[in-house]
Amino acid sequence: MSGPPPAPAPAPTGAPGPAAGPAPLIEAVGLTKWFGPVVAVSDVTFSIGPGVTALLGPNGAGKSTVMRLLCGLTPPSKGELRILGGNPRRDVSLTRWIGLVPQQDGVFEQLTAAEFVGLAATLHRVPDVAGATAAALDLVELSPADSRPLGAYSKGMRQRVKVAQALVHDPRVIFLDEPLTGLDPRQRRHMIELFARLGAEGRCVVVSSHVLDEVERFGSRVLVIVQGRLAAEGDFHAIRDLMDDRPHRIGLRADDVRRLSTGLLDAGVVVGVQLVGQDRAVVDTVSVAAFRRTVAAVAAERQVRLLEVRPLDDDLESVFKYLVGR
Amino acid sequence: MGPFGALYLTQLRIQATRARLLSLAALGAAGLGIAALVGRQNTTLAAGAEFVAVFGLAVLLPITALVVSSAGFGDTIDDGTLVYLWMRPVARWQLALAALLAALTIATPLTVLPAALVPVVMGSPSTLVLPALSAATIGLIAYCCIFLALGLRSKRALMWGLLYIFIWEGFVAQAGGNSARLAVRAYTQAVLTNATGVAFDLTTIDPPWSWGVPLAVAAVAFAYTVRRLGHHDIP
Repeated sequence: MSGPPPAPAPAPTGAPGPAAGPAPLIEAVGLTKWFGPVVAVSDVTFSIGPGVTALLGPNGAGKSTVMRLLCGLTPPSKGELRILGGNPRRDVSLTRWIGLVPQQDGVFEQLTAAEFVGLAATLHRVPDVAGATAAALDLVELSPADSRPLGAYSKGMRQRVKVAQALVHDPRVIFLDEPLTGLDPRQRRHMIELFARLGAEGRCVVVSSHVLDEVERFGSRVLVIVQGRLAAEGDFHAIRDLMDDRPHRIGLRADDVRRLSTGLLDAGVVVGVQLVGQDRAVVDTVSVAAFRRTVAAVAAERQVRLLEVRPLDDDLESVFKYLVGR
Repeated sequence: MGPFGALYLTQLRIQATRARLLSLAALGAAGLGIAALVGRQNTTLAAGAEFVAVFGLAVLLPITALVVSSAGFGDTIDDGTLVYLWMRPVARWQLALAALLAALTIATPLTVLPAALVPVVMGSPSTLVLPALSAATIGLIAYCCIFLALGLRSKRALMWGLLYIFIWEGFVAQAGGNSARLAVRAYTQAVLTNATGVAFDLTTIDPPWSWGVPLAVAAVAFAYTVRRLGHHDIP
């Protein structure tokens, strides 16, 4: 087995992103993957250094395929990939420095949490298996003394065990594919803090998610994957601003929707109106916050009974479509 | 315990489910029960050898090997747990060898032991015990290697394995000649024939081919498994 790769320099807490740090731990150049006629990932190039990097995209965008490519679980159809300077698919010893939380729910159901995490520690040749197992389970707030098999665990508990087995060998690069699935709000918060801490310690943490708010809380660098392509890359807040600046479409229902729409136009919070039937309209606004503050007041002022306000394009899919179309 | 021991124990737990063990043990016990009934009427070496060949080598051995060894990787692919063994700094051949040894550990008492007990239960000459043991052991190694690879190759390993056992080995190979030489069963029966002098329907295969070919097939199937672990998608 080859020796350990050089340790990355710890990134300062709150660092803007790995691009600003030392040499990247992950490099993908022209990464492409197709399954028969379906192109899952198309010509994606990026590099990732220490810190938390989120892989963001709607369901089916290709995030999991990118994750699988990065871990070496599937070979690229085209392109180059280097993790810690090598290819984990060819060099098995590289997996010593990699931790993975896969998306699938399956675990060895007949094992206890300690056995499952201990198996990972043993296969990684961790010197003190029992100690490392207890420490990893403690990180995710589970007890090594729990004698129940994993088959009896809830989805959230399994998810935490999966995180523990990915961390038990103190990896340098950690891939987390939708790691917050099934967790309650308190555990989500705990996990987000844990991932942020791991990133701040200089590890390369790659988290995939299709939930925008989740990624926001990672406070990280973002790679936005849409339809298998890299749609945007950079600091989350910059991308979020970009998303917020786009025109938003909102559906309105009111007893006199024409008068309400005129009032909103006069107030300058909408930039376009389309009347749909007698009591419905679709309006475009560039500031959802201003629209929310104003719409009730305008309705009251114009003596219109407001029946419904419904965002029509607030899902990630439309946000991503906007980013791709820019 | 080292990584290989952990892999072996994990594979034992994957393959040796209660349902599998009970159903396969029941199959072997049923065979021995039938052997006892046959032995009431015929205790000759030929009758004993024929029962070992027809039940032990043609049914119990391949079915047990299929059910157990195809689960080694098949079950982990089905439930997505293979990644927890694969994403570790462990050589691919060790993954495959641990699965194979676990399959042999489970299947040996379920197949080789009943095959060796047939002469005892039937009251046939004890000279049949060693040939039955040898034929069953060689066959078990070959079948386990083949079906271990099949479990990694196909999501429908059980179906393809049963088709091979019953359609190819059960019908096509019965035509004799070259088709029989493509059936593991022909070689295991040949080992039995060469040691006891009792001839069966399938083609005649002399040693060392009778034991060498199944072991060579096992080696090729094992090499294929190792290669596939290194080159194919891991779910």
